[in-house]
Amino acid sequence: MRPDDLKELRDQNLLTNDQFIRLELLSSKKIISVFYELRILLYLGVLLFTTGIGILIYKNIGDIGHMLSIGALIVVTVICFYYAFKNALDYDHGRVSGPTPYFDYIVLLGCLLFISVLTYLQFQYEIFDDGLGLTTLVTAAFFFYAAYRFDHLGVLSLAITALASFWSISLSPQKWYSGDFFEDANLHNTAIIFGAALSAAAMVLDKKSIKTHFTFTYVNFCSLMFLIGALAGVFINYNDYAVYLLILYAGCALTVYFAHLKKSFLFLIYAFVFGYIGTTFFLINTIMDDPGLWFFYFIASCGGFVFFIIRYKNYFKRAA
Amino acid sequence: MTSAYNTIWLRNLAIVKEARQWMKEGVISPEQFRLIGETYKSGFYHPNLMIRILLFIATLIALGGVTGLVGLMFAEIMEDAYAGLFLVYGIGSLLFLESVFIKRSHHYKSGVNEALLYHSLGFIIAAIAGFADFDSVTLTTVACFFVLGFSAWRYHDLISTGAALCAFAFLVFYEFYEMGGIFEQIIPLVFIAVFTPLYFLFRKFRNDKRAALWEDGLVLAEAFSLIMVYAAGNYFVVRELSINLLELNLEAGQDIPLAFLFYGLTVIIPMVYLYFGIKNKDVVLLRVSLLAIAFSVFTFKYYFSLGHPEFTLTGAGVVLVTIALLLFRYLKTPKAGWTRENILKEKWADMNPEAFIISQTMGGNQVVVDDSFKGGGGGFSGGGSSGTF
Repeated sequence: MRPDDLKELRDQNLLTNDQFIRLELLSSKKIISVFYELRILLYLGVLLFTTGIGILIYKNIGDIGHMLSIGALIVVTVICFYYAFKNALDYDHGRVSGPTPYFDYIVLLGCLLFISVLTYLQFQYEIFDDGLGLTTLVTAAFFFYAAYRFDHLGVLSLAITALASFWSISLSPQKWYSGDFFEDANLHNTAIIFGAALSAAAMVLDKKSIKTHFTFTYVNFCSLMFLIGALAGVFINYNDYAVYLLILYAGCALTVYFAHLKKSFLFLIYAFVFGYIGTTFFLINTIMDDPGLWFFYFIASCGGFVFFIIRYKNYFKRAA
Repeated sequence: MTSAYNTIWLRNLAIVKEARQWMKEGVISPEQFRLIGETYKSGFYHPNLMIRILLFIATLIALGGVTGLVGLMFAEIMEDAYAGLFLVYGIGSLLFLESVFIKRSHHYKSGVNEALLYHSLGFIIAAIAGFADFDSVTLTTVACFFVLGFSAWRYHDLISTGAALCAFAFLVFYEFYEMGGIFEQIIPLVFIAVFTPLYFLFRKFRNDKRAALWEDGLVLAEAFSLIMVYAAGNYFVVRELSINLLELNLEAGQDIPLAFLFYGLTVIIPMVYLYFGIKNKDVVLLRVSLLAIAFSVFTFKYYFSLGHPEFTLTGAGVVLVTIALLLFRYLKTPKAGWTRENILKEKWADMNPEAFIISQTMGGNQVVVDDSFKGGGGGFSGGGSSGTF
C-alpha cells in the first residue's frame, strides 16, 4: 500500500495513530522483512544437503572412511533432534509455533537425515530383513510422532507419504503423466481403502480437537488418493465399473461435505474434476455417441455449474 | 479507453484486501476491518482463488462446447474464410465478456473472466496469424505482443502481461537472428541495451501514482527485464545458445567470442543487483539477485566441475543453511531496516502449500524400500488410451 493511502485511512479515523506508525514503517520501506527469503534459502539448503548426503552414502557404500561419514551423519541427526527437543515448547492439542523462525527447518533436516541413516542401516546390515519394507513403517511412525510433537505440517506430509508407500502407494503428481501411477492391478483398491481409513482417523482426531490444523493436510492427501483410486478403478474395470463409479460419487460427496465443513474450496475442485471425468466416461459409454451431443453436454453441464456457483456466491465466500 | 473495470472499486478492493492481511496479523481489530470494508466499498464479484480455478476450468469446458457447436454450424465455409471467422468470433466473445460479465455482472478476475479472455485472445491472435496463412513468424509475434499487451493493460491480467513480455523478447531475438551475420553475434548486447532502459522505465511507471492499479504487472515487468539483462550476459546462456542456434562449432581449447566479457558479466550482474537491492531496499532486485547468484554458481560448476556432484550438493547445502542461520541470528534485532520477523504475511505464504512442496521434493519418493512393484511397464495410461482392458 502506498503511504498516501495509509494517510487517508488514518485521516478518516479508520486506523489509530499507533497502527498508522506501525504500518507506515512497512509501506515507506523503512522496515523490510526478509523472512521468506531466508526461509527459502534454508529450505534450499536443507534440500541440497540431504540430497547430496543421500547420493554420497549410496555411492560410497563399503568404503574406508565411509563409517566416518555415517558417524558424522548420525551425529548431525542427533544434534538436530537434541536441539529440537531442548527448545521445543510443550506439546499442546492446539497450534504451537516454533520458538525461532528456523526451528521448523532444523526439525525437517533431522527428519530427512533420519531417513538417510535408516535407509543406510537397512541397506548395510539389513536390520529389518523380512522384505516388507518395515523401514518405511518405522520411518512413518517416527515422522508421525515428530509431526505431532513439534507441530510440523511438512513432516506430517512426509509421514503420510511414508505410510502410503508402505502400502506401495506412491502419491506424486510427477507420476501422473508418465502413466505409472498405479502399476499393480489391485493398487487402486489399496488406495481407496487407505484414503478412506486415514481420513476417517483424521476426522476422529479433528472431532477430539487434537491438532485440527492437521486435518486439511490429511484430507488433502487422502481424498486425492481415494478419488484417483476410484477413477482408476472405473477405467481399469472397463466392463464392470458400476461399483467404482458409485465409490467415486461417494468420495466426491464426502469431499464436498468436507469442503462445506471447513469452508475449504480446494476440495470442491477435486470433487468437480473427478466427478466430472467419471460422469463423462459413463455417458460416453452409454448414451452419447454423437459428437454434436457432446458439445451440448459440455455447455449444459459446465455452464450450469458456473451459473450455480455464481447464483449461490454468498455460500462460497470464505469466512472472514 | 482505459481499464475495463471501475477504477474506484479497484482501488477500494486493493485497500480492503490489504486490510484483511493486517487483520489476520492482529494489527487491526475485526471491527476496524469491517469499518474499512464499509468505507471502501466495491461491488465486484471477485471470489477466492479456489473458486476462481473451479470457475475457470468449468468455463473453459463450456466454451469448448460453444466453439464446437459454432464450428459445426460454419463447417461449410470454414475452409476459405477461417481467419475472418476467427476474428469475428474472438472479438465477439471479447465484447460478450465486457458487456455481460464486466459491465453487467461486475466480475473481476472471477475465473470466468480469465477463461473468456484467453479464449477470445487466442482466436484473435490465430485470426491475425491466419491472414498470413501462419507463415509469418514476425506477424504472429507482433500480433501476440499487441493483443496480449492490450489485455494486460485493459484487464490488469498478469498472465497476459508475462506472455506479452515474452513475445516482445522473442521478437527482438528473432529479428536479429533472421538478419544473420554480425547481427546474430550481437544479440546478447542488444538484449542488454534494450532491457536495461526498459527496466528503469517500468520502475519509473511503478512509482507513478496513476499506475497504482497496474502495480503487480509492473513488478512482473521489472523482474522480467532484470532477468533478461542477466540472462543475456550469462556465459552459460550465451554459449549454449550460440552452439545450438547459431551453429557455432567449438573445438577443444576454443571459446566463444568475447568469453571474458560474459564470464565477467556472469559474476558482476548478480553482485550489482544484490548491492542495489540491499542499498535501495528493493525487494524485486533482491529476489532476482538471489536467483541470479544461484544460476551463476551453476554456470561455473557446469564448466569447471570436479566431477563430484554429490560433494557440490552437500557443500552447497551446508553453505546455504549456514548463511541462512547466520542471517537469522544477525537480524534478530532489525539492522538498518531489515528484519527477520514475519511482519505481514504474504497472501500465498501458508504452511499448507509448503507442506505439499516438501512432500513432493523431499523424501516422498526416497523412502520406498521394496522394489517389488517397480518396472512392470506402464499398463495404465489414463483416459483409456492403452489396450490393456
